[in-house]
Amino acid sequence: MLLPFFEWCDGLAISQAYRDSTYLFPLTQALHLLAVTVFVGAIVIGDLRMLGWGPVGQSRASIARSAQRILLWAGLAVLVTGIPQFTTNALTYHRSWLFVFKMYLLAAALLFTVTVRQRVSVADDGRLPSWVPKAVGAVSLALWIGVTISGRLITYYG
Amino acid sequence: MPSIVPTFVWLEGLAWTTALRESPYGYPLIETSHVASIVAFAGLVIMMDLRLVNLAFTSAPLAQFQRRLFPWQMASFVPSTATGILLFCVDPLRYYRNVLFLAKLVFLALAGLNALAFHLKTYRRAEGWDEDPEIIATARLAGAASLLLWSLTIVSSRLIPNNWFK
Repeated sequence: MLLPFFEWCDGLAISQAYRDSTYLFPLTQALHLLAVTVFVGAIVIGDLRMLGWGPVGQSRASIARSAQRILLWAGLAVLVTGIPQFTTNALTYHRSWLFVFKMYLLAAALLFTVTVRQRVSVADDGRLPSWVPKAVGAVSLALWIGVTISGRLITYYG
Repeated sequence: MPSIVPTFVWLEGLAWTTALRESPYGYPLIETSHVASIVAFAGLVIMMDLRLVNLAFTSAPLAQFQRRLFPWQMASFVPSTATGILLFCVDPLRYYRNVLFLAKLVFLALAGLNALAFHLKTYRRAEGWDEDPEIIATARLAGAASLLLWSLTIVSSRLIPNNWFK
């Protein structure tokens, strides 16, 4: 169903430029991993705090608000460096069940982060039953660990 | 000077390293665990660095923030180091001449020395970091150096498979 879109991505000038260059693709991959690292760091610190671990000297909301700006900038960098990687190999990814799985998981993780996690993380301490932020932190960690691992495994089993 | 190559040849020829190298799951799973744990570790180190340079989590006292994050940094550092050593043992001849791998080790060592120097300088004064201008200046410098060194470590790690400088 999506094949024409994947073919269009594959045919873009930027995809061809990436395929023709020795350095462009690997350097973009490296910057993508750096952006992912910062993004994961901001997720983990917020999730640890929601689980009642890590920087417990500060309120959940204070940690979450500070982490939000990092998440936004790192997320943008992940997107900017991820898109050309996708378009360059669009036809390969079209056949990859692991890539499709990662995209579903990524969609679920993003949706959860901007809805449930966002609301719970900035709620004042004591406003919610203590199990709620803990459960949200655990689900968030599991989702983002799943995204990171499935993304890496595409190289081998995609 | 005796060559280290025979040791790497011996290491590569061991039954368990051969089994891991030839297994369809061994190497990919170790490598994926390595990436996941180093991303978690470096991610938390970068969060601390952003606090040190006063760009994030500024309401958190420096020493307290550091103390609370340290166990979690270590919890991800141990598996990332263990899987990193394992990866090298599985394919030592592939790595030891790879310039980008050696660059990664250098950046890692410098990042470790930077963290050690910062801890030694501030260790005796665990409290009152946020009021001491000397420690604030040292913290900013150490944080900026750490941000740079960890960024270079991550970037060089991802570039290792390319082996551009043969």
